Amino acid sequence: MLMPPFELHHPTSTEEAVEIAASLMENGEAFDWVAGGTDVLPNYKWRINPKPHVISLAKIQEAHVLNANEIGCMVPLADLTSENNVHPLLVEAAAKVASSLIRMSATVGGNLCLDTRCFWYNQSEDWRRSIDWCHKADCGTGADCRVIPNQNTLCVATYQGDLAPNFMVLNASILLIGPEGERTLPIADFYELDGMKKNVLLPGEFLLKVFLPEDAAMRRGCYQKLRVRDSWDFPEAGIAASWLPGNPASLMVASTALESIPRLHTKEVEDHLEAGEFDPIALAKKVQKSVKPVNNTALPPRYRRSMVKTLTKRALLGILE
Amino acid sequence: MTMGTYRQQPGASKPEVRKDGKRVAGKQVFPPPGSGGSEPTMRPRDLDFIPETVGGKEPKPAGDHIHDRDRTGTVVGKSIPLVDSNAKVTGQAWYGDDVRLPGELIGKILRSPYHYARIKSIDTSRVEALPGVIAVSTGKDAPNRFGVLPVTKDEHAMAVEKVRHVGDLVACVAAVDESTAIEALSLFDIEWEEIEPVFDPKKGLEDHDEPIHWRGKYHLSRTNVQKRVFQEFGDRSLVDSPFAASHGAWTMSGVHHGFTEPHAVVAHWDPNGRLQLYTPQQVPHYTHRALSTVLDVPMHQINVVRTFVGGGFGGKSDPFPHEMCAAILARKAGKPVRITFDREEVYWINRGRHPSHIEVKMTADTDGRISSFDIDALIDGGGFASFGHVTSYYNGVLATAPYELGSFHYTGARVWTNKPASGAMRGHGAVNTRCAVEVGLDEMAESMDVDPIDLRLANLLPPHSRTISGFRITSNGMREALERVREGSEWDTKFRQLPLGKGIGIGCGFFISGSGLPIHWDPKNFPHATVHIQVDMDGGVTVHTGAADIGQGSTTAVAQVVSEVLALPIEMIHVRSHESDTSPVDLGSYSSRVTFMNANAAIRAAIGIRDQLLKAAWEMLGYHPNVLVLNDRRIYYKHDPAVGVSYLQALHKAQADTGALIARGAYRSPPMGGVHKGAAAGLAPAYSFSAYVAEVDVDVETGQVSCTNVWAAHDCGKALNPMAVKGQIIGSCHMGLGQVLSEKMVYGRTGHLQNANLLEYKIPSVHEMPHVEAIIVESSDPEGPFGAKEAGEGPLLPILPAVVNAVYDAIGVRLRDLPLTPDIVYAGIQKHLRKLRLEEPEQMQPPRLEHGPLQPLLVARGDLHRERDRLRQRSEDTSAYVNGVLFGFDPDRPLSEQHEGWREAYEPLPEQLAELGFAGRAWLKKEQRQIQREEEEQRQLDIDESEKPKIAVEHKTPPKDRKSKRGKSQKIRREL
Repeated sequence: MLMPPFELHHPTSTEEAVEIAASLMENGEAFDWVAGGTDVLPNYKWRINPKPHVISLAKIQEAHVLNANEIGCMVPLADLTSENNVHPLLVEAAAKVASSLIRMSATVGGNLCLDTRCFWYNQSEDWRRSIDWCHKADCGTGADCRVIPNQNTLCVATYQGDLAPNFMVLNASILLIGPEGERTLPIADFYELDGMKKNVLLPGEFLLKVFLPEDAAMRRGCYQKLRVRDSWDFPEAGIAASWLPGNPASLMVASTALESIPRLHTKEVEDHLEAGEFDPIALAKKVQKSVKPVNNTALPPRYRRSMVKTLTKRALLGILE
Repeated sequence: MTMGTYRQQPGASKPEVRKDGKRVAGKQVFPPPGSGGSEPTMRPRDLDFIPETVGGKEPKPAGDHIHDRDRTGTVVGKSIPLVDSNAKVTGQAWYGDDVRLPGELIGKILRSPYHYARIKSIDTSRVEALPGVIAVSTGKDAPNRFGVLPVTKDEHAMAVEKVRHVGDLVACVAAVDESTAIEALSLFDIEWEEIEPVFDPKKGLEDHDEPIHWRGKYHLSRTNVQKRVFQEFGDRSLVDSPFAASHGAWTMSGVHHGFTEPHAVVAHWDPNGRLQLYTPQQVPHYTHRALSTVLDVPMHQINVVRTFVGGGFGGKSDPFPHEMCAAILARKAGKPVRITFDREEVYWINRGRHPSHIEVKMTADTDGRISSFDIDALIDGGGFASFGHVTSYYNGVLATAPYELGSFHYTGARVWTNKPASGAMRGHGAVNTRCAVEVGLDEMAESMDVDPIDLRLANLLPPHSRTISGFRITSNGMREALERVREGSEWDTKFRQLPLGKGIGIGCGFFISGSGLPIHWDPKNFPHATVHIQVDMDGGVTVHTGAADIGQGSTTAVAQVVSEVLALPIEMIHVRSHESDTSPVDLGSYSSRVTFMNANAAIRAAIGIRDQLLKAAWEMLGYHPNVLVLNDRRIYYKHDPAVGVSYLQALHKAQADTGALIARGAYRSPPMGGVHKGAAAGLAPAYSFSAYVAEVDVDVETGQVSCTNVWAAHDCGKALNPMAVKGQIIGSCHMGLGQVLSEKMVYGRTGHLQNANLLEYKIPSVHEMPHVEAIIVESSDPEGPFGAKEAGEGPLLPILPAVVNAVYDAIGVRLRDLPLTPDIVYAGIQKHLRKLRLEEPEQMQPPRLEHGPLQPLLVARGDLHRERDRLRQRSEDTSAYVNGVLFGFDPDRPLSEQHEGWREAYEPLPEQLAELGFAGRAWLKKEQRQIQREEEEQRQLDIDESEKPKIAVEHKTPPKDRKSKRGKSQKIRREL
């Protein structure tokens, strides 16, 4: 399979990276950021929205930082181990991503900014031509969405990253850098509908680091991932939960791989706790009701939704142990 | 007796010395022309690997074998690495895409974006104008049709008139590099006319305006039915009052071989104008034939070079259109052309297992005998015939053993749909039905309150018997396989006794060891396999065979048997099998035929060489070959090893007058089987048997099934290389587990194949692999090479039903949709809960077994039959045994003299038409030739009637309803 040609840029500092992005934007040239490349490059080979320029973050020193409270976007998932003083929940989640080989290249930043996925989208150019393209990669045809036809406004591709819900329940925040300067925001606010927009990154902006608050280390967490095989597979549904043991008010639950963005279930948890005692099964049912997967991954949406209850229950029982 | 100090290196010839010590003029001292192998001295005979029947210590419970006296204890029966493994593990094996010829061009194929469409015009002018494009070709360049089976040639190199599925070949280009070739594909201007596609095989049985193919007078009405089969054997009256019964309707998804290496081909017309085609083919000979047809070039002007094959499993056994494309482009361009597939293209060419709707009904009588199997198989062939003609038969006939049946009824139909073509895949045609049948037996055993293993043991066909459909069973290790997995798995302490979520299940298998009928010729006129051996003065043995090593180890098997017969270390045997120029014609690697047929041919050729060596040794030693022994590069007198010659001395003596020694051997299967329509399908010189027990864990909340342990017993006759056999068993488990648990070609709402990649097509990873305890059963086949039978496909069959039955044992839910993905299992559990009015899955009760009154009866019959089988296996009982003896059938009297019920039929009776299964409904349709004939008759009738108008009106019969009309027309046809 042939990679379409592109120019690769290798900035060595965040300033340089932002500069390159700004000048490309000025010249009206499209580009993508690349970290490990395990998501971007396969998509390029399939000619899914390839760009003429690619800016690699690999040589930016700052992007490689890794300690208990700070994780750079270039940190390979394989490095998220307890030896590196990483939170056990992140260790658990990272170990469930793809395969051990892919985790050597795949990065934290790449996982958080993972492109949304869909049966009708993650296909070769020939294949997509045979369905007359789709809304997300319409090749200028204004094609309709193939998952839910006749709505044409929303992309329902599914976000299938594993790390995001886990960072969410650890109250992480992220540092974004772009031509307009840098900003820090809670990771839960990073994601924004729809499946094409995916997140709040502005043109020329990239995710540099993830910060974990001091009390994250005290949180006990659990991540439940639904997949067909215990290797390679993206999550078909994923539930992360954490709390400061013994303190129901600190309970956090987040989900992934069910909709176009991962979601922190603050409202469901609050409603549940307001209503009375902390009951894992009742809360699990509430979380299940709040998500609406669509038919664009390996397992049918009805089943994935049913599993939300089981996964949430198991995650909650996991942190209660 | 010590043996081990006899030197194998012949010394240099002794110089003749003159009296004065100088060399005689003109008498050169010749160094030895070869070496006798790397070890200087002879190793002692390895009696552990010489059969007890000829004085060794290897046990032969099944009695003596015709090849016992050809054993030398060298390598047969020993676990040795495959002879090509060094090339593979060091990355030096050259696969299809590794062939790089100077000046090569890159070929790319333009594929159809439509499911079904007519090509009204193709304009290639813009393509040709693109700099860097050297050659362009479309369907009109190659109008000749080809296909793997001579009876169903329905493929073209590229679409000639219509495209039949998304991904079907439309045109191809050759350019200086890949990016130019890809760019060129976007410059074709094509006018299309879309046609309404068909995806659902059930709709394939209906009449269509535009059937996907047209078979002329043989076409079935206007349907998309490619092949229909009806077979009925035995006593159908036994079905009427069953003691126990099982009925299940299955939906099985299509699965793909998932081999590692995508298809790749390099074509080159050499300076003499001969085509050299490099391709990873299982069956180079069919490609050879098809190339000749499509290119209009005689076969001797084509050399097909089989590269190393990165996995085949049946998926590389058709001649492929892209092979034709490469040859056409190379001819046009005058340069070598290479085409390598992307993974997606591999799925578009497909030839995987047919998506199937299978219905199995079975009954048993009060004695616990299996009184009937009723099978209906509707299989989805996709856009082309491929091997489908055979698959249509295999889906039924390969279920006629290992059990003795009172009656057998099969209706099958293969339909064309607008999807990538299905074809042959490991366990060809037998896998899906086998799963349905074995699960049916499990269900029936449950309703009879008996152990399913005992039910099987009491109903097995013995060795040296005949199945209900006329297959000749020779060696049969079914009973031993069942007994060994029962013991190994501790079945009796686990079955129906494990807690909820844990289960254990049994499944058996039966498969052909080599198809008895070579597809392209009559076996009477030409043997199935031929092997040539050449031994020159260096002592190395070159073996020429056309057997295609596709990773299964056929080259190793051939090298082993030659090594064994000649008593030479295996590194002295060199197998040359890559080129059709030098290899004798061979049918290739399919239907698990290679070990059986090629090794048999190789043994014969090796005996030819051995006899020449023995004759030379006789002349040198004065001892007759009958008293000479071959062992490790030495031939010596049986009673005094000191009296002997080295292999090289004998060789040089033997070739003194003739030069290199040459011998050839051939194999053909004996005449066998019935004469009825379809009798040849499933006919094989031997059959393999297997029994597996699988243990599973089912997560009752999520429906996720994981297989934890498998005890896999396979009867391969004789394991020539136990390590290779175990590899096949474990590999088969992996492949079968994929089909039963996760692999599935997903066709979406629009008919598109949704998962044409290895991420979404879920082949089990190492995490999903259970521990497999591979158990080799050796029944010593009388006609197999040293007793060997196949081990490549048969071992796949039992894993599916074993897992499905184990899932039932774990949760008490019968599931009949494959694969058992978590959503399917979850839905099954939920339905079960609703039925039982339970809230939580943890409340379910797994099934339990209290032995009923039939159990001791079955155990007793099983014990009786064990002795019967032992005597028959050892040929101590040579009486005739035909399926039906258990039911009172007299094997020594012809069918016509048996009691009334026994029959054979190949077309349904009119009264049967109403009750046929899904596939059987194809018999409600008429062939075009019959329709035409009836129209002709009607016209004749009309003319007759117009000549005598008045009377005719009075005799006019009242209008009939459609159904009875159909019945009548069927009747007419039968009378004709």
